[in-house]
Amino acid sequence: MKKTENSNTEKSLSRRSFLKGTAASAGAVLGSGVVTGFPTVWAQNIKNVTLRQFGTGVSNLNEVAAKVKEDLGFTLEMTALDSDSVTQRAATQPKSFDIADIEYWICKKVWGSGNLQAMDTSKIKNYDKIVGTFKSGKLTPESVIAQGTAPHTVGFTEGANGTTFADNETGWMTLIPTIYNADTLGIRPDLIGRPIESWTELLNPEFKGKASILDISSIGIMDAAMVCEAMGEVTYGDKGNMTKEEIDKTMAIFTEAKKAGQFRAFWKSFDESVNLMASGEVVIQSMWSPAITAVRSKGIPCVYQPLKEGYRSWGGGLGLSANLSGLELEAAYEYINWYLDGWVGGFLMRQGYYSAVPETSKNYMSEDEWGFWFEGKEAKGDITNPFGDVMEKAGAVRDGGSFYDRMGAVACWNAVMDENKYMVRKWNEFIAA
Amino acid sequence: MSMARSKHLELIKTTKLYGDVKAVDAIDLTIDEGKYVCILGPSGCGKSSLLRMVAGHEVTSSGDIILANKNITDFPPTKRGTAMMFQNYALFPHLTVQDNIAFPLKMSGMEKAARYKQVDILLERVQLKSLHDRKPDQLSGGQQQRVALARAMITNPQILLLDEPLSALDPFLRTKIRAELKQLQRDLGISFLHVTHSQDEALALSDLVVVMNEGRIEQAATAKDVFNAPANEFVARFIGGHNIIETDNGKAAIRVDRVHLGRKSYASLPVSIQEIEFLGARVCIKVIDENGREFSVDMTDEMFFAHSFEIGASSFLSWEKEDVHQLAA
Amino acid sequence: MDPEQFCSGFRYKRDRTSIMKTGKSEVVAKAAQKLSWFLVLPLVLILAFFLILPLVTIGIVSFWDYNEWNFFPAFIFDNYHYVFTSHVTLATYLKTLKFTVLTWFFCVTIGFTVAYFLAFHVRSLKWQIALFLLCTIPFWTSNIIRMISWIPFLGRNGIANSILLEMGIIEAPLEWLLFSDFAVVLAFVHLYALFMVVPIFNTMMRIDKSLIEAAHDAGASGFQILTNIIIPLTKPGIMIGSIFVITLVMGDFITVRFMSGGQSASVGRIISNEIALLQYPAAAANAVVLLSVVIFMVAIMLRFVDIRKEL
Repeated sequence: MKKTENSNTEKSLSRRSFLKGTAASAGAVLGSGVVTGFPTVWAQNIKNVTLRQFGTGVSNLNEVAAKVKEDLGFTLEMTALDSDSVTQRAATQPKSFDIADIEYWICKKVWGSGNLQAMDTSKIKNYDKIVGTFKSGKLTPESVIAQGTAPHTVGFTEGANGTTFADNETGWMTLIPTIYNADTLGIRPDLIGRPIESWTELLNPEFKGKASILDISSIGIMDAAMVCEAMGEVTYGDKGNMTKEEIDKTMAIFTEAKKAGQFRAFWKSFDESVNLMASGEVVIQSMWSPAITAVRSKGIPCVYQPLKEGYRSWGGGLGLSANLSGLELEAAYEYINWYLDGWVGGFLMRQGYYSAVPETSKNYMSEDEWGFWFEGKEAKGDITNPFGDVMEKAGAVRDGGSFYDRMGAVACWNAVMDENKYMVRKWNEFIAA
Repeated sequence: MSMARSKHLELIKTTKLYGDVKAVDAIDLTIDEGKYVCILGPSGCGKSSLLRMVAGHEVTSSGDIILANKNITDFPPTKRGTAMMFQNYALFPHLTVQDNIAFPLKMSGMEKAARYKQVDILLERVQLKSLHDRKPDQLSGGQQQRVALARAMITNPQILLLDEPLSALDPFLRTKIRAELKQLQRDLGISFLHVTHSQDEALALSDLVVVMNEGRIEQAATAKDVFNAPANEFVARFIGGHNIIETDNGKAAIRVDRVHLGRKSYASLPVSIQEIEFLGARVCIKVIDENGREFSVDMTDEMFFAHSFEIGASSFLSWEKEDVHQLAA
Repeated sequence: MDPEQFCSGFRYKRDRTSIMKTGKSEVVAKAAQKLSWFLVLPLVLILAFFLILPLVTIGIVSFWDYNEWNFFPAFIFDNYHYVFTSHVTLATYLKTLKFTVLTWFFCVTIGFTVAYFLAFHVRSLKWQIALFLLCTIPFWTSNIIRMISWIPFLGRNGIANSILLEMGIIEAPLEWLLFSDFAVVLAFVHLYALFMVVPIFNTMMRIDKSLIEAAHDAGASGFQILTNIIIPLTKPGIMIGSIFVITLVMGDFITVRFMSGGQSASVGRIISNEIALLQYPAAAANAVVLLSVVIFMVAIMLRFVDIRKEL
């Protein structure tokens, strides 16, 4: 805490002395809106900048911070938290961060707090190359917009000081999209021994005492809805924005299953989901892509099973603290531009995530990697992740296929509903049942 | 009957070993019925071990303990016909006076009403009736002592064993309770075996004083005999009130109130006065002879003021022949 | 709060000066009173800041309103209304009480037995200390680690099941070993048994050994001594241990979550969930209710046993 205060003082001092000396040139630079090349004085000063970023462990990687130092010269401090804590921090401690790496549904929750500032898309070099999912909601012009808190619905606001979300590309983004994926159920093919095709299998009595679901209400309710819809038990107007009645029906089905002993456990953290699966306590459960990889890297078969009803998807992006200004704000923009420039994209895609600007990432991936991860082609050689671990052997094909197969089959996004309060209570009742 | 009476409690070669240490060394002792017996000795002399063996709280290493013609050596405490009163009374702090006293009856399975009836009788006797529902910590030291006594008495023991029963009381109360104990013993007519390290207590109470040292009995006799005719140097010194002198026949004891200062008689010794203690009715003077041996002289205050004894002054110490008590070697 | 109660030494001084009844003594008395306030001030401040203030804040916030990202001043009873009308509340409290009662029962049984053994069967002080320290060794690691160590042991393919299968005692793995109420209570007992051992042992060590002898002398059997002397005299220790165990279990959220595999609720978990979801006012209302329930339980326990002598 103390350390942060000190560095703040230093920063503000350097900023002040800079402003005194070069007010004219600074004004010129700011006014021009050119961010690609800073005058020398900026470039030197920017080395003193420290940006504090927090987010879920998924993309808060030290490798990124190291590369930032190398490429941009300034310091990026990373804090990894679970998604509840991330929400809490974004909503209640605006002074504790400069950059928030959060998911879109979290953005929907916390934007109203005014702790984040809108970003000018004209300063984002690769804005035009960001995939359609994050702008119009359509991956391809023919795509159907998925249910839930689709990123484009909370991705824009009216202006620099916008407090509500806009339904078109206004030029002011709430989050700059960085990472996303299509989630499905993880299974242990060796312990199940037959094909799994539908979300209904999660409640199949065959897996009594061997199923699991994650206990994060905003995400768990979506998995539950996928299951209930697939079973034909509940028809939803919008799974991402359920009515009280729909919530009640969904939770009733899951409560019944819970009481019948369907679930072995509920998990809340990445590691718990890995342990449940790896130990064989659970054979089918909600899961995240890297968790599947973690199980497989222990030599235990685990499949991220594509299902006929489609995927539940999630997306995350970087948001700027409302407190950012001046040199640090500029540094933050530079950081975001760098983020979309390809290196991070490649880094993330080689772990199985998708980048918001896939084409820039291609430059940082081998042809075989690009083929395997993005195009859904058979791997020609062993596929390794950025940390050097072998993820897949030659000949493997990605579960679910190509980017367009997977992201094109998204049925819904992680969501925050209008009836969020009610849903949370029902979810707690389900856990307590 | 008279046989049984004359030999009520008998200890035969009773021995207690702790490892190789003989705490009680083959003691023989016979106690008649209805006697107040004090076992007197310095700490560590084995008197407590002896008492606890009689009570059955210590295993007797060898020898026998006979009570009322029964060999109780290996009996459990309740079957022995003994009852013990503990040093700090060992009253159960969570029980009322009434329940403390009734405790042994409750353990034997007696009904509540029946045992309270018995308790009432005893409460009357020890004058604690009005305090029957108090807890021990609400009682004075003397009252606690009476409760402990009543608890010990409720089983109608044939002998009451008391382990330093007066040591927890202040000096004033001690004399008072001492008298009560003696009175009670006379009323009950059973034997009391009382362990103490206080000579005053032993002399004041006892029909029989048993002086112990290093696990052995040095002397067992009436209070008068122990005081007037100590068997040996240890008894003479421990019981106090004696000067030890060397005679041709060995060591001898002379009571401190039977030696005189400043007057020549049967034997006299030049001494100088070291210390004068004024005790009210009596005055105690410490003197030292040429060889550095110390003696005490006890005289009445009249006698003291009739002379002018001063510290550092020279004088003569003298005594009569008949006052010299020869000690066993 | 009368500061004099905190410094009886000054009360003595005042009594004496008031007997003298001189003008000077009144000045002294006033000075003493000022000084006694001064001496008690740090304690008052600490309690005010770290106990009273947080509690008052929780009490106030429990009447506030909230949305997804914020909570704001209001005076609404919705939070309490939900607590008292939701069937989850009753179910959760019953579940929490069930964990509490079971944990308490096993902790008392184990705690009493261990303390009894240490206090009355181990003769030398050296061995008593050595064995007592042995009991505390597991407590040198963190709660969480001690708790999650059970998971690989009790799992479907865990050590316990493997051994039982190997020995032919069971034919299929026991599912109820892990992620069950059994696992929760087991972990609780493992975590908190020492909290019962320590105060009971402490109380037992204060029992005058001559009381045992006196009871023996009065004809009590070993069992009678246990029920008539040792248990009644150990009550304050049992009660202090019980207060520890009951408050710890009633407020727990992490053990229940890990050991039930997230499938059982406890009051603490509900509060923790609400905090995680930024529903601070709802969490505060729940916390106020939980605090009241626990205080009520402790108050009842204290009515039966006077623990002041032990403190």
